[in-house]
Amino acid sequence: MNALEVRGIAKSFGEVEALRGVDLVVGAREFLVVLGPTGAGKTTLLRTIAGLEAPDRGEIALFGASAANTPPAQRDVALVFQNFSLYPSKTVRENLAFPLLAPGRRLAATEIEERVKWAAGLLHIERLLDRPARKLSGGEMQRVAIGRAIVRRPKLFLMDEPLTNLDAKLREELRVELRELARRLETPVVWVTHDSAEALSMADRVAALVEGRILQVGTPEELYFRPVSPVVARQLGSPPMNLVDAKASGGSWRLASGVALGPASPGSPDDARIGFRPEHVDLEGGESEASVEVVEDLGPQRVVVLNWGGVSVHAALSRRTDLHVHQKVRPRVGPEHLVVWPRAH
Amino acid sequence: MSKAARGSGGLAWALVGPTLLLLIAFNVFPLVYNVVSSFTNAELIGGDSRWVGGAQYTRVFDDDLFGGALRRTALFVVCAVAVEMLLGFVLALSLQREFRGKQAVLTALLVPMMLSPAVMGLFWNLVLNGNYGIVNHALAALGFDPPQWLTDRDLKFWSILMIDVWMWTPFMMLISLAGLSSIPTSIYEAAQIDRASAWKVFTRITLPMCGPVLGLAVLFRATDALKQFDLVMAVTGPNDGATQTLSTLLYQVVFRDGKVGLGAAFSCVILVVVIALATVFTRYIDRVQARDGV
Repeated sequence: MNALEVRGIAKSFGEVEALRGVDLVVGAREFLVVLGPTGAGKTTLLRTIAGLEAPDRGEIALFGASAANTPPAQRDVALVFQNFSLYPSKTVRENLAFPLLAPGRRLAATEIEERVKWAAGLLHIERLLDRPARKLSGGEMQRVAIGRAIVRRPKLFLMDEPLTNLDAKLREELRVELRELARRLETPVVWVTHDSAEALSMADRVAALVEGRILQVGTPEELYFRPVSPVVARQLGSPPMNLVDAKASGGSWRLASGVALGPASPGSPDDARIGFRPEHVDLEGGESEASVEVVEDLGPQRVVVLNWGGVSVHAALSRRTDLHVHQKVRPRVGPEHLVVWPRAH
Repeated sequence: MSKAARGSGGLAWALVGPTLLLLIAFNVFPLVYNVVSSFTNAELIGGDSRWVGGAQYTRVFDDDLFGGALRRTALFVVCAVAVEMLLGFVLALSLQREFRGKQAVLTALLVPMMLSPAVMGLFWNLVLNGNYGIVNHALAALGFDPPQWLTDRDLKFWSILMIDVWMWTPFMMLISLAGLSSIPTSIYEAAQIDRASAWKVFTRITLPMCGPVLGLAVLFRATDALKQFDLVMAVTGPNDGATQTLSTLLYQVVFRDGKVGLGAAFSCVILVVVIALATVFTRYIDRVQARDGV
C-alpha cells in the first residue's frame, strides 16, 4: 500500500496560487524529496499533507484512506518545521516527551522515558536532555525537532527544509545520519528542500516542484541526466546544467553565432534548447574555439566559465587541469551527453 | 598624569556635569531636604521650624490614618491588578482570532485608557451619582434598590476600584495581546501535530510563553496603582477615611493641614515601603532575564 497519494491538489492564498494541481505518490518505505526553488509551493504542499491547510481542490489519501476529514492530530504524521518550532520554555526532555502525552494515547511513564532516551541516543543529544530548548544552538534544536518527530513513531515523516538553517559541515553530517535513520525506522519520508545536493544524495525518488506544479518525478539519476525540461535541469547540480539555444544544420548543432557545438543525430529537431552538464565538457578535441573567462577553484574541482561563440558555458574539470584566463581552448561535449528539447515556435 | 588623560578627564566632566547637576538639583537635594525636614516641625505657612528628633516618626506610627492608608493601598493594588490582569488576559484571548470589526472593537476597548484619570473620576462621579446618576436610574427602573455608590462608607472604596479596573483593563489586554502574538503560529501548529489538547496547549504553551510579559504588565500596573491619587481625589477628595490612600494622605497632611515635617516623615516611611517592593520587582526581572537570556 502507498503511504501517501496526493491527487490534483490545488491551493491559493488570495491572488497567489501556491499549488496548481499536484499529483504525488509515496511508497510504503520510500524517501521522496520534493525539490524546488523558494516560493515553489513546497511548504504549502507539506502543510496540506499534514492537514494544517485544507486544499481548494484535490484529495489526499494516507495509507489508502482519504484524509479529507481527518484533523492533523489524527493523521499520525510528524512534521519537522523549517524553523524547528520547539516549545522554548521546556527542556529538551519535555519537548521530546510532549507528543507522547497526547490525550487518549498517553504512554506509561517508563515507556515515555524509554522512548525519549532512544530518540536522544539516536540523535546524540543525551547530554542536552535537561537543557531548556531556548538555550540550544541551531544544530541542536534541529536534532531535538527531529527527535520530537520520531519519538511517537508516526506512519509518515514530513520534513520542511530541516537542514537549511544549519552550517555546511553539520548539514552534510545530518544528511547521512537522517538518511540512515529513515532506513532503520522503515518509515516513509517526504522531504522538502531547495538544495539539489540533498535531493541527489538522499532521495529514492525526487519530485521537481516549480511554481506549484510537479514537473518530473524520478530517481535522482533520471532527473540529473535526463531532465524533462530546461526548468528541471536548472534545479539540479552545482554548477547547474548549461542551457544553450542551437539549430541543427549540416549534421551539427550550431549556436546563433554559427559556432559548432557538436554533431546532431539524424532526426533531431531543427531548432532546440540543448542542455549539457559542466562535467561533460572537455576542453580539447572540439570543432570550434572558446576562450577561458573565469577560473574558479572549488577544492577537488576547478570550474571554468568559457565564452563559446558568444555563449557562457560552465565546465567542471579536475583540479590538475592547468588553465589561465584568456587561454584559447577547443571545447567538446560528447553527443551522448547532450539533452535536446525541441523549441516551440 | 599625562596631558591627554587630564584633557579627557575635563571633557568627561563637561559631558557628565550638566546631567549630574540636574540630578542633584531635582533628585538628591529634595531627598536630603525631605529627610532633614522629617526631623523638624516645619509647617507650610509661617512658624519657625525646630529640630524635634524622631518625634514625627513616632507620630507616623501612632497615627491610625497611616496604617489605614497603607492597608487600603495594599488592598487596592492587589485587587485592582489581579482583576485587571484576569479580565485583560481573557479579553486578549478572545480578541486573538480574526473577526469582522475587530479593529473597531479594539479601538473602543482602548478609549478608557487614553482619557485622563481626573476626567474619568469626574465622569464616573456623574454616572454613579446616588440621586441622578444613570446607573442608579437604570437600577431603579429595573426594580432594584439603588446603592449609594460614592457616599456609602462600605462601598465607595470598591467603586473607585471598579473605575480603576474600567480604566486599566485595556492596558492589561494590550500587553497580553502583545504577549500572545509573540508566540509563533508554528508552535501551535506543532502542538496540533503533536496531538495536544486545547487545555494542554493553553497551560503548557500559551501561559508559560507569555508569562514573563504578563509579569511585566503586573509590575507596571502595581507601581502605578501604588501611587493611586487622581481617582480618589476626583471621586471623594483626599480626606475621606474610607478611601484614603498613601498618596492622598500625604497630600492631606502637607497641603491641607500644612504639616510639612510630619508629611516628610510620612514620605520617608512610604519611600522605604516602595524600595522594598521595587527590590522584589527587580529581583523578578533579573530572574526572568537570567532564565530567558535576554
